[in-house]
Amino acid sequence: MRRTLKLCTILTFAFLYIPILVLVVASFNAGHDIAQFQGFTLYNYGELFEDKFLLLLLRNSFIMAIVSAVLATAIGTLAAIGIQAMAPRVRSAVMSVTNIPLTNPDIVTGVSLALLFSFVGLLLKRQDAMLGFATLLIAHVTFNLPYVILSVLPKLRQMDPSLRDAALDLGCRPYQAFFKVTIFEILPGIISGFIMAFTMSLDDFVISYFVYGPKFITLPVEIYTQTKKPLHPKIYALFTLMFFAMLLLMIIMNLLQSRDEKRRRNRIFPLGAR
Amino acid sequence: MSKELIRLTDCVMQFDDDIVLDHLNLYINDQEFLTLLGPSGCGKTTTLRIIGGFQKPTSGTIYFDGQEMNDVPPHMRKINTVFQRYALFPHLDVYENIAFGLRLKKTFSEEEIAKEVTEMLELVSLRGFESRKVNSLSGGQQQRVAIARALINRPQVLLLDEPLGALDLRLRKDMQNELKRIQQQLGITFIYVTHDQEEALAMSDTVVVMDQGRIQQIGTPEDIYNEPKNAFVADFIGESNILDGTMIEDYAVEFFGRRFKCVDKGFAPRESVDVVIRPEDIDIVDPSEGHLSGTVTSVTFKGVHYDIIVDFKGFKWLIQTTDFYPVDAIIGIRLNPEDIHIMKKSAYSGAFGDYSSYSAEYDEISDPEEPSEDDADEE
Repeated sequence: MRRTLKLCTILTFAFLYIPILVLVVASFNAGHDIAQFQGFTLYNYGELFEDKFLLLLLRNSFIMAIVSAVLATAIGTLAAIGIQAMAPRVRSAVMSVTNIPLTNPDIVTGVSLALLFSFVGLLLKRQDAMLGFATLLIAHVTFNLPYVILSVLPKLRQMDPSLRDAALDLGCRPYQAFFKVTIFEILPGIISGFIMAFTMSLDDFVISYFVYGPKFITLPVEIYTQTKKPLHPKIYALFTLMFFAMLLLMIIMNLLQSRDEKRRRNRIFPLGAR
Repeated sequence: MSKELIRLTDCVMQFDDDIVLDHLNLYINDQEFLTLLGPSGCGKTTTLRIIGGFQKPTSGTIYFDGQEMNDVPPHMRKINTVFQRYALFPHLDVYENIAFGLRLKKTFSEEEIAKEVTEMLELVSLRGFESRKVNSLSGGQQQRVAIARALINRPQVLLLDEPLGALDLRLRKDMQNELKRIQQQLGITFIYVTHDQEEALAMSDTVVVMDQGRIQQIGTPEDIYNEPKNAFVADFIGESNILDGTMIEDYAVEFFGRRFKCVDKGFAPRESVDVVIRPEDIDIVDPSEGHLSGTVTSVTFKGVHYDIIVDFKGFKWLIQTTDFYPVDAIIGIRLNPEDIHIMKKSAYSGAFGDYSSYSAEYDEISDPEEPSEDDADEE
């Protein structure tokens, strides 16, 4: 039994990581044939940093991810506070509505956003000029919002409500109570919401594909259009770098979460309660 | 001492169908130590939250110094609060927690803040703890920080919501004395919420006994203990034997088919009443000399005294005595007129006072602790 479980774990990890391993190996392969490792080289990485267009797209993707994650985090945190303040019955109704975009197939979200933008474009009589940075940003903020709300809300629920009362009691106006007290209590939720939004935005292809315009293209969209012919190995190099960047981000997030856990446990059982 | 500071008139608090406060009327004097005492769910914390401004009454008015206060938000009130679980800010150290209120005012220089904080730390005997993290403090120390933090704004009124509930017995006694000392030293009004009757009697100038959203009795600790108004108060404050009786005339009451002299008057002739006899007031004598005689059914050693349960014609009394009487011993009792307290019949008549179900765990049952409620809050 134990051995079977062990085997299952190993298999799971194999399934998850072998493709990435192949990608990493391919990025260092001197030859062009993936089936054969013809020696270690950093040539592909050199090529990657020579390709100004690819780097521009990467920059675009990062700009989009950061701006949309910042906006989604700000709006989502406010929304979570609003939802938390609602009566329980209304709250669960609102929650299911805000969660729909999570389960909604990306392609449906993409197409409906595209329809919306062309409708608005038609109204404004500038249909073609409509698509671009702004539409992409709106789309990304839209699908990022639920992730932020879902990671901030539990922190608000865990927070001792009398902390906010105490801030008000000592002379805070409601907004001061938020910035001086509440925000520190829910910060881990805000950060993990931001990181989640950032990663979702960075790798989004399906929704972006429907709402991007020629003036602002993100990396996933461009790579998809390139897949019609064989991918250049420098793309492997790019993906390898992105994978490790994400890995780092996830490790940071986990560390933050475990620190927060520890802090919470200390609070429930204060040290030396005599 | 006599100036009125806070008044609540006809306050009703209702959540859906749940009436938490039922037409509450209360005034609180300046520099008074007033305790709201009652079992959990009696409306005492709600009353405190209304005074603090965290909740608005469904109807009714609250006045502070003659001014209506219903719409004044908490940060505009000259009232500060010590919360049940202290509610210290975990991201700030002890110094910054205490300085929090002053920093908001923006009129204090860094030196003035340092001076005030030091003074507060001295008041609560916590010098040297300035840079400690609040999570590294013991319960009693966190409590002191919470008090210092609330007092630094120099409030006219300090609200305390079961502040000693989370502390162990020994520490609780120490803190009771501390709080009383602080209140007298600063000369401000304390409004204190607790379900612990001993705490209420030991600290307060005035005790307000509450149950089911209504005030059952207001008075000095002595009044509340010696002259309970109804069976609820008699049972909640201390131990009481409460039996049915009939007031024959002024200064004479009948129960157990016997006539007793008492010190109460002003009842209708032959009005049926509740008779309260405190367990410690009963004199035990030889069965032949007693007004009544009964059989001991249980004995519990309590340290200072024994709690014995005595069966008188099927009604079981609790008697506290320093002498030991074995189970099955037959004893007699004498009741002096001042040991018999007469109360009007109320909705609570018959609900308390018979010790038939008495057991050694009785004390724990009659003194409900809050932790079960706290656990529910965590989720």
